[in-house]
Amino acid sequence: MNFLNTFELSDHAQVSELALNLLHQARELHRKDPSREPVTHAMANAQKRLGDWLAASLGEEHRSPSRIMATGYIALLLSQVHRTAPASVLASPLPEELRQALRETLLVTGPDFNISSMTPRHLDYGPMLQIARQTWHRWDAKELVIALLFWAGVYSAFYWWLSQRL
Amino acid sequence: MNDAAPHTNNFVVRRSIFLGLSILLTASGLLLMLNSYSGQKIFWEDYVSIGVFPLLFSQIAVGFVLAMYGFFDRLRGGDRHHLMRGAWREKEDSIPLAATAIVIPVYNEEVGRISKGIANMWRSLEKTGQLEHFDFYICSDSTDPDHWVEEECAWLSLCQRLNAFGKIFYRKRRHRINGKSGNVADFCRRWGKRYRYMIVLDADSIMIGSALVRLVRAMEANPEAGIIQTQPYMVLGHSLFRRILQFSSQVYGGLFSQGCSMAQMSSGSYWGHNAIIRVAPFIEYCDLPLLPVPDPRRRHVLSHDTVEAALMRHAGYGVWIAYEEPGSYEEGPPNLSDMLTRDRRWCAGNLQHFWFLFARGIEMGSRLQIWIGLMGYLCSPLWLIFLIAGSFGAYFRMRFLTLSADPQDLGAATSSHAGSHVGLLLGLTLTLLFLPRVLGILTTLPKAAQFGGTSRLLLSALLENLLSFFLAPVLMIFHTLFVLLTLLGWQIKWTTQNRADTGLTIKHCLALYGWLSCLGLIMCPISAYYLGNVSWWLAPILAGWILAPFLAWVTSVRRMGMLSRACGLFVTPEEVQPPPELQGLDDDDGASSAASQLWVQALLSPYVQAVHLSLVRQGTSSNGVPVQFLATLRERLIREGPQALNTKEKSRLLWDGETVFWLHQELWSRPAAQLHPSWIKLQAGCAGSPLLSHYLTTEN
Repeated sequence: MNFLNTFELSDHAQVSELALNLLHQARELHRKDPSREPVTHAMANAQKRLGDWLAASLGEEHRSPSRIMATGYIALLLSQVHRTAPASVLASPLPEELRQALRETLLVTGPDFNISSMTPRHLDYGPMLQIARQTWHRWDAKELVIALLFWAGVYSAFYWWLSQRL
Repeated sequence: MNDAAPHTNNFVVRRSIFLGLSILLTASGLLLMLNSYSGQKIFWEDYVSIGVFPLLFSQIAVGFVLAMYGFFDRLRGGDRHHLMRGAWREKEDSIPLAATAIVIPVYNEEVGRISKGIANMWRSLEKTGQLEHFDFYICSDSTDPDHWVEEECAWLSLCQRLNAFGKIFYRKRRHRINGKSGNVADFCRRWGKRYRYMIVLDADSIMIGSALVRLVRAMEANPEAGIIQTQPYMVLGHSLFRRILQFSSQVYGGLFSQGCSMAQMSSGSYWGHNAIIRVAPFIEYCDLPLLPVPDPRRRHVLSHDTVEAALMRHAGYGVWIAYEEPGSYEEGPPNLSDMLTRDRRWCAGNLQHFWFLFARGIEMGSRLQIWIGLMGYLCSPLWLIFLIAGSFGAYFRMRFLTLSADPQDLGAATSSHAGSHVGLLLGLTLTLLFLPRVLGILTTLPKAAQFGGTSRLLLSALLENLLSFFLAPVLMIFHTLFVLLTLLGWQIKWTTQNRADTGLTIKHCLALYGWLSCLGLIMCPISAYYLGNVSWWLAPILAGWILAPFLAWVTSVRRMGMLSRACGLFVTPEEVQPPPELQGLDDDDGASSAASQLWVQALLSPYVQAVHLSLVRQGTSSNGVPVQFLATLRERLIREGPQALNTKEKSRLLWDGETVFWLHQELWSRPAAQLHPSWIKLQAGCAGSPLLSHYLTTEN
């Protein structure tokens, strides 16, 4: 029932009727094949019926089940058949005008690629890069810290000495 | 390379006057500074102050000269040499339009707001009768699966409501390389050849139809133009902070942009959004080069716009600022904390631009833009150094004079000559800082009615200046920290900008700014003790620090913003008379605000799943992810529930179309005992999912 509710059919009686129908069929299937749970039978049956119905309505029997479902559900949504004619969902044969309405919903997800090559051009970073490269190659972080501490000490001592003299 | 000469005849005169005046003012400031030391003992701290001073003062001088240019340009009724004022405007309506893509890069932003913005722009374009020339591209880099699935549903809803199939496209990027610039580059590589122009927007940008059409015509009429940047005004603010930002951008922002345009002409700025770009040269010349640093993780240019503008100029195409073009909008940060988050990103990006400052072939105007952007953040640590060195210098001078027995020294200390230079320097600094603001207000006065009336405009300006006065020292400290963190190599991640006026908690404000208050409170007695009367110079800075948590909190509160609106303060023309393109944008009714775990709808709801499968290109099952890994993830999801997976794992599942289809079948087919209990609840609530009610099953 929860699964059928996700289709947002506007006629609740229709949803109940479909659910009962599917459950009845699931009971039959479970009797024949008790190794599978009734819910599994019911869902497999519901999915198969939906898939077959959508494929026949859209005339796309040759496509994979996932593609048929994706195209079909979107067709259902965009054509508003689930709202305007809920009784026709899973009905066979589907009235011609509804079949036409479903087939007319063409989903354009994106234009075809028109590939361009976009690559960075060489940029000469100039003299700063030369200096930086030399620095990176020469300097080790540990040595740098030691050097900085050393000169900080020297300057401090010099400043202290000067301040004593002046 | 484009051989067309983009400069008009008085370009050199403008540039030389701009540079000449900036240097003259800086030199005058430096001279007054040096003279203020005349006859006094100079300490080494003073040498530091004197060394830093020209750099700091030059920034004030540059800002002042730009504002003067803007004011002069307004007085004379605009720049007749500007690209947007060319002869083409006389026959504007007869210029045919070329194919243009409106590219909207999104990254976990509020989907409802983006979709309403696109719908408004679409309708606005429809009114111009030129809609056929424009296509919209929502280029998503969202990492949050809830946002991803919601974006897909919003896209379908937009196409359905506007009958825009084949005109509005959605693309989710699988590999999020190089942030926003990579997102736009990806669009260029895939579809760039189909369009002559692209108008790049931010997720929160809005442009009116007539402005979009005019930009395309301006490009068509001026083949030498590579980028035309509009002046986006901040709108839709509710918090006090955002309303103040809106107000200041309206009153002062335009003046600086106009000045910048007048001084720079075809070497203007590009701010990364609300701008039109000529696609072919952008593809050919503007892909960002990697930075020449040893760490490969830091080679990507974070702040792309300035560099792209420099590369466009380097290729011989003009970059213009269409400062007069109305109908270009954006949203600002809702509070101080969000502004600082944004500033941290911008700071890291702008500091990277240092490399381009000395690159060969970069045009002088571009170097100037890079320098101004760089100094925008470097000024903060320099200002802090100046303050510390100045305070120590003052302390040593006082100590020296107190201990000195030489009457000559005492005479020097009270020298009226030095004092007059200090006064002059102070006067000059205040003039350079505040005169542009006064001029901004003066130029706004004729349209005061759109700002709530003259008295309210003046009061708002006064309050805005007061807030800027107190926030400046807070920004100085945070920007200094950002510069240090960047220089120390702390990685900056490009995050979603928060645009919701939800306000900050007092706890957050105390945690983030409380230490500044403590610092200010400690410094008050220390500076008073050691510096005596001189400490009054530090009072505004210490007051800003002490008040920081309170100011951050009070300006973030939506109620304060509404109160100021009710009082007629910080009113902007878009608030008085909102254009149709902005209407309904701030109604908070997106699906994302209504629920979480939206992504599971792609597994449960047949409609949401169908939209998702249509957009995820199939045929590449598992997409490089090992099949066994996907199988394990699927089983974990079913048995442990959606909360058991992290964001990356959810995305991996969503990218694989076959997996999504399989999960849909399994989740509905398996007996309850084999499912995690949360699935039963989710199945029951699937029909009432906000994705369906907000987007897919709404009445047209």
